Amino acid sequence: MALLEAKGIKKSFGGVTALKNGNLTCNCGKITGLLGANGSGKSTISKIISGIYKKDEGTIIYDKKEINFSSPSESKQNGIAMVFQNLSLIPDLTVWQNIVLGNESKKKVFLDTENAMSVSKSILDELNPRININQKVRNLNSAQQQIVEIAKALVSNPRLLFLDEPTAALEREEVKNLFKYMRKLASKGVGMIFTSHRLDEVLEICDDIIVFRNGEDVGTIDFEKEGKDKKTILSLLTGSSDFNSTKKVYKDIKDVCILELHDLKHGKELNGIDLKLRKGEILGIGGLAGQGQTELMLALAGYYNDIKQKAILDGQEIKLNKVSTMIRNGIYLVPGDRQKEGLFMNCSLYQNMLYSKMGHKQPLFIPRKKYRDEARQIVKELSIKTDSIDTVVLTLSGGNQQKIVVGKWLPFDVKVLLLSDPAKGIDIAAKKELYDYIMKLVNEKSMSAILYASDNNELIDYCDRLLIMFEGKVVKELNKNEINDRNIVAASLHVKDEGGELG
Amino acid sequence: MKQKLYNKLKFFTSKQEFSTIIILLLMLVGMSLLQNGFFTRRVIVSNINAFLPLILLSMGQAIVIVSGGLDMSCGNAMALMLCAMTKIMKADSPYTGVIAILVCILLSLAVGLANGFLVGYLRLPAIIATYATSYIWLGLALFITPTPGGEIVNWFKIFYDFSAVKGCAQWIKTIGSVLAPSVIMILLACTIWFFIGKKKLGRYIYAVGSHDDNAYYSGISTTKVHIKAYVINSLFIMMAALYFAGQNGAGSANIGETLTLQTVAAAVVGGVALSGGKGNVFMAIVGAIIMSLVSKIIYYINVPSAWQSFVSGVIIIIAISASAIYSYAEKRNLLREVN
Repeated sequence: MALLEAKGIKKSFGGVTALKNGNLTCNCGKITGLLGANGSGKSTISKIISGIYKKDEGTIIYDKKEINFSSPSESKQNGIAMVFQNLSLIPDLTVWQNIVLGNESKKKVFLDTENAMSVSKSILDELNPRININQKVRNLNSAQQQIVEIAKALVSNPRLLFLDEPTAALEREEVKNLFKYMRKLASKGVGMIFTSHRLDEVLEICDDIIVFRNGEDVGTIDFEKEGKDKKTILSLLTGSSDFNSTKKVYKDIKDVCILELHDLKHGKELNGIDLKLRKGEILGIGGLAGQGQTELMLALAGYYNDIKQKAILDGQEIKLNKVSTMIRNGIYLVPGDRQKEGLFMNCSLYQNMLYSKMGHKQPLFIPRKKYRDEARQIVKELSIKTDSIDTVVLTLSGGNQQKIVVGKWLPFDVKVLLLSDPAKGIDIAAKKELYDYIMKLVNEKSMSAILYASDNNELIDYCDRLLIMFEGKVVKELNKNEINDRNIVAASLHVKDEGGELG
Repeated sequence: MKQKLYNKLKFFTSKQEFSTIIILLLMLVGMSLLQNGFFTRRVIVSNINAFLPLILLSMGQAIVIVSGGLDMSCGNAMALMLCAMTKIMKADSPYTGVIAILVCILLSLAVGLANGFLVGYLRLPAIIATYATSYIWLGLALFITPTPGGEIVNWFKIFYDFSAVKGCAQWIKTIGSVLAPSVIMILLACTIWFFIGKKKLGRYIYAVGSHDDNAYYSGISTTKVHIKAYVINSLFIMMAALYFAGQNGAGSANIGETLTLQTVAAAVVGGVALSGGKGNVFMAIVGAIIMSLVSKIIYYINVPSAWQSFVSGVIIIIAISASAIYSYAEKRNLLREVN
C-alpha cells in the first residue's frame, strides 16, 4: 500500500532550479533507498514533504489525502519524522531533553521527566547503550550526536521516516544496530526513505531504490523483482556506464624526509606519535573512527596551543602551537567538516579565497584585481561549477564546496597538505574528481600529503604508505602492496585480541 | 566519609553559579563591615526595597536573553506603565486604582506582544528592534506626563509598604514588617518562573535560544516562543511598575532609562550567556543584587566622587570575568571527562 506518493514536484531557489520533476513513492513497511549525487534534489524533496520548504508545483499524497505542510511541526503531528543530515539537535540541552524535544509528555501540569528519560534510555539502549542521557549534546562526538538525532526521530513513533545520511558518521557496530531497528520498524508497517552514499549499505537494507539526477528521478529498481546490480545503479547515478577504476601505480619515492615528528602528545587523544613524511608521498592515516586521527591533523595544523613538542620541517625545527606559524611554513589543512571548519558558508567564493590569504603578509592595500584573477584561475583549474566567483558558497553543492577548501591553498607554496577526511559526505563522482585533482597536485608540485579518511577504500586507492592508529598511537605501518582492506581492518582491530571493547 | 564530603564539595564548586555566589557573599561580608547593622531586619528590608526594580527587570531580561533575544526597552516600558497609572489615578476616588491596574495589564501585554512581534515574527535583530521601541515607550510616557507628576490612590501603597495603607488590619502590618511587599513580589516572580521552567515553554525557551533553526526543525513554533518570552518579561516589568507607583506616588518618564543596561549587566553577571540558551534565570537575582551592591560599597568606602564610575566599572568587570573564567574551566573539565 502506498503511504506516500509525490508527483511532479518542482522547486527553485532564486534562479537555481533544485527540483525539475521529482517523483517519490514509499510503501508501508518498506525501506526505499533514495540515491543521487550531491545537488541532485534528494534532500530538497525530503524537505518539501516534511514541510520545511514549500513546493512550487506538484502534488503530494500521504495516507490517501493530499497534503501541503507549511511547517515541520505540522508534518510531525501527521507522523512524518526526519533524521537530518546536518542534525537538528540543541547543543545546550541534554541528550534526553533533545530526544523528546517537540514530543514532551505531561504529568499533571509539569513535564514528565521520568518518562522522558526512560523512553530515551530504551531507544538509545538499542542503538548505542554507551551514551549518557544526562550529558549535554554539545559535549558528544559526531557519531554520538548522530545516534541522538536518530533516536529523536524515532521517539515520535513516526509512520513515515526520512533518514538523510544517517550512517555517514557511524561505526560499523552502530550501523548494524540501526539496521536492526529499521527492520523492526518495517515489520510494524512504518515506511522509510533512506539516503546514503555508501552503496553497500543501500543494497543491504533497502527493498527498492529511487535514483535522482539533476533534479528529477531517473529510475526505480525493485530489488526483489529486478535483483541487486551495482553496475546498473552506478550508471543510473552518473548517467554514464564508464567505471574503469584506474589501476594504482606506485611511484618511486626517494627517502627524503620533509616532515618529522617525535613523541607528539596532546591530552588523552594523542599518546606519543612518531611520524616521518617523505617528499612527494601521500601518507595515509587509518584505523577505527575516533582514535586520534582528527586530533593528529589538527595538531599538525597548529590548532592546539598546549603542544610543546616540535616538528622538523625540511630540516628546520618549528613549533607546533600556532596556526599562523604552520600556514607560513607551508602546512595547510583541508578539514572534512567544510560547513564548520573549512568555509565561511555565507561568504562568496572570492571572499573565502581572500580570507585564506590573511595568514600571510599582505601589502598595505589588498590587490583586488590580482586576487580576483587568481580566484578565477582556481575555479577554472578545479572545474568548480559556479556562475561567478561572487556566488555564495552555501548555494554550491558539497563536492564543489570541498574543491574550494582545497583550492584556496593553491596560490601558496604548499609543502604539506593535511587532508582530514576530505571527501566526507560528497558523492562518488565528485569524490573521484577531488582525489584525482589532489593526486595531480602532489605529482606536479612535488608536495606531500597526509590523508585521513574514514572510508578505507579512499586510503587503499590513494596512499603510498599507511599508518594505523589506535587510542592515540600508531600501531601498524603498511607499505605499498600490504595496503588492502583485509590488512587495514585487521590492523585497526589489532587490539581486540587483547580485550578491546570492539567486537 | 571524607570522600563523600569531598565529592559533595566538588559538585558545588563545579557549578558555574558557584563563583558568582562567592562574589555575592564577599560583597555581603564587606558591606556588613562597612555599614553598622547591615544585617538588621530594617536595613535588609530597605535594601531589598531599593534593589527590587532591578531584580524584577533583570529576571525578565534573563528570560528574554535565554530565548535568544534582548530587551533594550524594559526600563522605558516600566516608565510608560508608571506614567499611565499615576495619570489615571485620582487620590480621592479609590476605584481609579482598579482602572489603573487594568490599563497597566493591557499596556504590559501590548509591550510584550510588540517586542515579540518585531523579534519573533519579523525577525528583526533584537538589540535594534527593542532599542527602537524603547524610544516609542519613552515618547508615549513623555506624552502622558511631560513633567514628573501624577498621583496615586492610598491603597496602591500595598505594593510598597502595608503600614502606609490607611485602615489596614494590624496583623497584616505585622506580616508586612517581615514579609514586605517587595519580598512577596520576588517570591511571586520566582514562583512564576519555577512553574514555567517545569513546563514545555521553559524547555522551549532554552531550545530556541540555543539553536533557533534546529528548534524549528524539531517541530517547535519558534515565533510563538519568542513572543511568549517577551510577554513574560513584560509581566515582570509590570510588577516593577506597580512597585514604583506604590513607592513614589508619582510618575516620571525618565525613571527607567538607566535601568535598562543594568539589567543586561545583571543577567550576564548572573551567568546568563548573551548568545542565548544558557544560564539560570534565578541567578539574575544574584546578578542584580551584586550590581546594586557595587554602588553601595563605593558609597561606603568613600571613593572620591570623580572616581566612582571608574571603580564601579572595574568591579563589574571582575564580577563578569569570575563567571567567564569559571565556564572556561568547566569546559576543560568536561572535555577531560568525555575523553
